[in-house]
Amino acid sequence: MFRPLHIALLETKRFLLDRGDLAFSLALPVVLFALMYGTFGGGESFNGTAHFVDLDGGPAAKLLVESLSDIDGIDVEMHSLEDADQGLDRSSFLSVAVIPEGFSEALDDGEQTSLTFRQRGSGGNESQIINGIIRAITQEMAGEAQVYSVVREVIGESSLPASQVNQAVFTSLAEAHQSPSVVVRSIDVGGASAEVLHRLLPGILVMFLLFAVSLGSQALVEERRIGTLERLLTTRLSLNQLFAGRFLAGVSRAMVQAVVLLGLAFVVLQVGGASVFVQTLIFCVLVAAAVSAVSLLIGTLARSRDQATWSAVFFTMFMTVFGGTFFEVGNTGALAFLSKFTINKYAIDALEGLVSGAEGLSTQGPEAAIIAGVAVASLLFARLAFRTGVGGR
Amino acid sequence: MAGTILEAKGLSKSFDGMLAVDDVSFTIQRQEIFGLLGPNGAGKTTTIRMLATVLDADGGDVEIGGHSARRSSGQVRALIGLCPQELALYEELSALDNLVFFGRMAGLGSQEARVRAEENLQLVGLQDRAKGAVAKFSGGMKRRVNLAIALMGRPALLFLDEPTVGIDPQSRNHIFETILRLRDEGMSVLYTTHYMEEANRLCDRIAIIDNGRIIAIGTPVELKTELGDPAQVTLEEVFLHLTGRSLRD
Repeated sequence: MFRPLHIALLETKRFLLDRGDLAFSLALPVVLFALMYGTFGGGESFNGTAHFVDLDGGPAAKLLVESLSDIDGIDVEMHSLEDADQGLDRSSFLSVAVIPEGFSEALDDGEQTSLTFRQRGSGGNESQIINGIIRAITQEMAGEAQVYSVVREVIGESSLPASQVNQAVFTSLAEAHQSPSVVVRSIDVGGASAEVLHRLLPGILVMFLLFAVSLGSQALVEERRIGTLERLLTTRLSLNQLFAGRFLAGVSRAMVQAVVLLGLAFVVLQVGGASVFVQTLIFCVLVAAAVSAVSLLIGTLARSRDQATWSAVFFTMFMTVFGGTFFEVGNTGALAFLSKFTINKYAIDALEGLVSGAEGLSTQGPEAAIIAGVAVASLLFARLAFRTGVGGR
Repeated sequence: MAGTILEAKGLSKSFDGMLAVDDVSFTIQRQEIFGLLGPNGAGKTTTIRMLATVLDADGGDVEIGGHSARRSSGQVRALIGLCPQELALYEELSALDNLVFFGRMAGLGSQEARVRAEENLQLVGLQDRAKGAVAKFSGGMKRRVNLAIALMGRPALLFLDEPTVGIDPQSRNHIFETILRLRDEGMSVLYTTHYMEEANRLCDRIAIIDNGRIIAIGTPVELKTELGDPAQVTLEEVFLHLTGRSLRD
């Protein structure tokens, strides 16, 4: 009764002892995960450096530079005018903001002044974003200076001391900053990154499960070649037990990669909670069963290791490309039609719902039924054709 | 312990219309080492695969310990051990793990399989390398592991299909001594080889098979007597006389 389990355990142990298979199975999910993390896991959306030449040296110039360096993700570098020109010539940076002499004094007096952006071409995307931020800060500073100036002009004839007027304006502006009359809000509705992640993770997961088709079918052909399958049949193991053992071995081999990838995604990217993780894992076991059954079928029918490899590669490529693994296949057209003959379409549809938390296992009946059907049909055909050696049982 | 352990009756097998084994009949007595000799492609391995229940015969049957291989393969398997020509081992695993696994498949419990595996490794002189990966073993060591696995079920009848191919004289001698010891302890052995001096040294009786048919059977002395003085005639001369000198394969 437990002999198929012994075979599955042995195969899993062999799989984990094979450094080549292990590197392929574990390193690849980790690398892919790192790429996903790089794309979707970062905290800041923008990083850049603002380059300044301060010919003024006054308080307003300092305030402008400090305001910019206070923003997360933006560094500030100060240059002399000469260094800045050389840097631009060498394309060390593409844009420099030059604060002119008398900038602070002009602002203080409520007079017009200017800020110059010296840049190569358009300055590039990074500079355009940073220059936009500098413009916004400068305009805010100019607006505040204008307020000081107007207030001073209006009450200039009164007996109020200038310091008291400035203090009153400063307090008023500070309150306006604290409670602005226009509040800009951002509402997180999942966001584009989350959407892409929920689409990409199931695709990658199914693709990795499909890799087991190649490993499983090759292993079966190899064992038939070296004679271990036939030797097992001279023990008390029945052919059905041997077949069941190979099937369970394929499931466990496929699940090794799935668990690694899924574990990393849920722990590091926090894709979902424990319930979502467990439900996703359960569905993965079903897909792994279908994959193992297909690998048994290919391994049984193949007459050589090369035949098994190429058949498995063709199967995996067809499923991955036409199953909408990395892009939507839509509902009409040839691609949509072909996708109906892939495991991926149904597996990814179901896993998307599970991973995003929008659906549970109970709503995956049709997809689960189709994948289970593939598993059962493949197992039946594989069992009918299963052989342990040339012309053997 | 006297009596017949194996009786093959009219075994035949074809592959793609080619007759590989044709009406083969012979018996093996208990505690007997029975040699099956023949050129390449003569039908030795096909015969062993049918006797070991991994290949269905097209015609005829074999009884082992009174059980028909065709009707009671499960009971037959409880009595046999197969050491195939190929090194049917899991090379990533240790020698001990290989033996324990095949022991479990032979119906032994976990502890029993481990004890038996250690005994068998000692028998083939590999107790010090029990935990070493088989992939790092020499050809001779792998052959000895191959033999030790076949002994995990303590078979009454052991099939050895060219167990000494490609190994050094020391390992070969160790395997001979092991086989003789097992025979003395009550085991019967069916032994195939291309080395005539091995057959002459080990086998109590020999059958020579060619083109799927048994063309001679008897003790080494009986076979040599057919060609002349057994003290002067070698088994190789008998073999070449019976199977011809034309190249095979």
